[in-house]
Amino acid sequence: MEQILLFAVLGLGQGALIAGIALGVVVTYRGSGIINLSTGAVAMASAYAFWALTTGFFGFTLPVGPALAGALAVALAVGVLTEVAVFKPLRTVSPLAKLAASLGILLTLQATVLLVFGVQPQQAPSILPADTVTILGVTTPSDRFVLAGLVVVIALVLGALYRWSRFGLATRAASENEQAALLAGLSPNSVSMANTLLAALVAGLLGVLAAPIVQVDSMTLPLQVVPALAAALFAGFTSLWIACTTGILIGVLQSIVYYLSTQSWFPTDNGNAMPGLQQLLVFALMVVALYVRGAGLPRRGELVEKRLPAVPLPERLLRPALMAATVAAAALIVLPFDFRQALTNSMIGMVIVLSYVVITGYVGQISVMQLALSGTAGFVLSHLSVGLGIPFPFSALGAMVLATLLGVAAGVSALRVRGVSLAVVTLAAALAMEQALFNNTSFGGTAGVSVPPPRLFGNDLGPKADFRGLDGNEPSPMFGFLVLAVTVALGLYVAHLRRTGLGRRMLAVRSNERAAAAAGVDVQAVKIAAFAISSFIASAAGTLYGYNFGSVSAARFTALAALGLIGFAYIGGITMVSGAVIAGLMSTEALLPHALDKWFGIKGTWALLFGGVSLIVTLIANPDGIAGAAHRRRTAKRARRTERAAAATGPPTDSASAVGSPEIRLGRTAADAKEVAP
Amino acid sequence: MNVLSVQQLGVSYGGVHALSDVSLEVGEGQLVGLIGPNGAGKTTFVDAVTGLVAARGRVELDGKDLTGRPPHVRARRGLARTFQSSELFEDLTVAENLQVTADPSTWWTALGETFGRRPSPNPAVPKALAALGLEDLADASAHELSQGRRKLVGVARALAARPRIICLDEPAAGLDTSESAELGRRLRTVADAGTALLLIDHDMSLVMGICDHVVVLEFGKVIASGTPAQVRTDPAVVTAYLGASTVQPATASDTSTGGSAKALTSTPETP
Repeated sequence: MEQILLFAVLGLGQGALIAGIALGVVVTYRGSGIINLSTGAVAMASAYAFWALTTGFFGFTLPVGPALAGALAVALAVGVLTEVAVFKPLRTVSPLAKLAASLGILLTLQATVLLVFGVQPQQAPSILPADTVTILGVTTPSDRFVLAGLVVVIALVLGALYRWSRFGLATRAASENEQAALLAGLSPNSVSMANTLLAALVAGLLGVLAAPIVQVDSMTLPLQVVPALAAALFAGFTSLWIACTTGILIGVLQSIVYYLSTQSWFPTDNGNAMPGLQQLLVFALMVVALYVRGAGLPRRGELVEKRLPAVPLPERLLRPALMAATVAAAALIVLPFDFRQALTNSMIGMVIVLSYVVITGYVGQISVMQLALSGTAGFVLSHLSVGLGIPFPFSALGAMVLATLLGVAAGVSALRVRGVSLAVVTLAAALAMEQALFNNTSFGGTAGVSVPPPRLFGNDLGPKADFRGLDGNEPSPMFGFLVLAVTVALGLYVAHLRRTGLGRRMLAVRSNERAAAAAGVDVQAVKIAAFAISSFIASAAGTLYGYNFGSVSAARFTALAALGLIGFAYIGGITMVSGAVIAGLMSTEALLPHALDKWFGIKGTWALLFGGVSLIVTLIANPDGIAGAAHRRRTAKRARRTERAAAATGPPTDSASAVGSPEIRLGRTAADAKEVAP
Repeated sequence: MNVLSVQQLGVSYGGVHALSDVSLEVGEGQLVGLIGPNGAGKTTFVDAVTGLVAARGRVELDGKDLTGRPPHVRARRGLARTFQSSELFEDLTVAENLQVTADPSTWWTALGETFGRRPSPNPAVPKALAALGLEDLADASAHELSQGRRKLVGVARALAARPRIICLDEPAAGLDTSESAELGRRLRTVADAGTALLLIDHDMSLVMGICDHVVVLEFGKVIASGTPAQVRTDPAVVTAYLGASTVQPATASDTSTGGSAKALTSTPETP
């Protein structure tokens, strides 16, 4: 009992950090309507800055006071940059695009920290008193109480600020109805800026103060935003008070779970306590929060109608597919082994992004857990083929069916959850699966479980097959051909899906669920179908991952990797198959990063930084992604060409093209005619 | 037999009764108008009938009970509707918008299409476009249309489902007088071809001009019902629209209700 009390008190430190980040999330949401996934990364940035300033990392050492000021200045600078460079230009885009933008900030911050400070976790000096207090006979460190008290004070001050100041009134007005606030003379931009800065300050301060307790590193600190999001969900993204208390309680509960896992009766996994229960706890809390509070977030009356990236109808499928397949097949034979491997990796990346094209591009739902489904399929494949001795096509199919069933089950239970809430809860699910399932050595493990090469009728189709391409090295092009066949088949299927009735119903659901239901579309069935298709594609990628490396390791299917893939998918163009191809070429260990590394010595971390920055740039300058922009240019060019032809042959007879206003069209035709005449 | 039969429909939001015991019947090929001042509960009535809002009471289509059925089931049974703000599928072209309602959506057809079976083009789509005079817009993207056009596409989308009845929620709002009259003629043609229509609109010359029967709502209750001629002279209706117990010429010139008052008293041109 005393031990539980001790661990509860110890958990106050973690809880204070979670509560601080949760306050940051809620404040940003109230100010700008953005669910800022990078709030934890802000805490990380200022914690690193404080550590560097006090330990002489930059060649000089500052006393605690100026170092704290410096660290907070870093947090504020990040806040200003975020607001000016990202939030302000994206004021009028869809909530999902805003979420993706905050993901871009998270990736950028993480890459910057990795580049500046390296991967080594650091032990930051504590600036809180190190003495102890005794309560109920248990000696506990007093800094935990100071931290928790500080967060509560911050929450109270922020609450008072919102309640009684003119700034608070403006924020509340803007979060109720941005348009009306604008008409009443309040600038949404300055309201948003002030709130973003407040959020950065709170997260930065807690990052500095709690860092000594939780360790400064670039992996766990940014992901502290996940439990913070659970707290924010309980608070309905509105109540500071609930966000603060729930955040602290989550920290305390996680600490108690940790204590229980040290007990002898606790279920173990190869002698160690079952991993991932803290993440499972957060996920379970989120599910509870969504049931208690309802799946919807508070709506804002916003300025401009929000449209997701366009989903153009593909005109030709077979010709580009055949061309790409021929080029890829030739490249697999001709390229040196390292580029052959990179090309194979790229194609597997394309397959996993195809699953996002279906679920996010066509149906408008962000599900972060698709990569975790890939991982599940990979691990199940290993168990089926090694443990049960099932031969190649059946083991892979069995693994895909099992992982698809899991995806459908998740989809069915998340039917009422949509949009941004779905992204948040599937992020927690991905994290829980990563920690509890993949790190559990009886199912997965970081060391990797082996996967035997695929054999069909006695022929080895794996990377170690006898046919070795021109340079005679591994991996064999045979495996590349297998991956290519799967990629082309799934790519064709996803492109074709857009032309079918089911594809149209998916887009109908994406634009308007109410109207779709009134038009006779079974919204839930369409969503389940989308989850099933997307999960099946993701599982196919997972089995290919397994065959590619001959083993499956937890490190490939982390929640952070999933977020990175969604980023790449957005950059490439999340609504189109050609976008998935581009995204695949950019993904981890694919052709583009490999070429950059090989030719210019640019390492993967720079690629991460590049990915984060270009995600933000894409969202601002070109929301349809690279593929969408290319498609728009092509269509515009074709339209010009038809008009020229029409102008040359006489007045246009094709009335279907007369969509826009006829005056403009006639004017342009006349101008074109003038150009052509001489 | 009645196509649509609504009995004792009631909707409450907390303590507010948005609709109380509204009953209404629409026969085959009949064009029934539903009018009432702003906030009378007309849109709530359509939402409740189509299943988008939970309601008490009974809704029957062709004598079959629809109570408690989800919206998409009611739509597939033949109960179509349009929306006040048109609510088109922005990412689809006009023709694709119509295809969503026109094409059967069984698992079987979805599977067939997956494996490359090309369904024969649905004749309901060009027919519905032609009925509203929208043939030229078939390949236009829904989000590039003007507000008036969007309304028409909404009606065409409902029509493409070949429904038994369409509930039209203010299809003429945003149309000018001649466009509105044109829409009226087209709606009358649709009704005469056998599709029952329930028309909600504020354009009194439209409603009074083409409807066979008019029902008037006020504060969620039916206050009058009958032919356009009967309703126009009904004292309860005049009171509801003019907001006074006795009709004085001075009240009719009130700016906020003047329009409707004029529309009510003017003789509508017959189509």
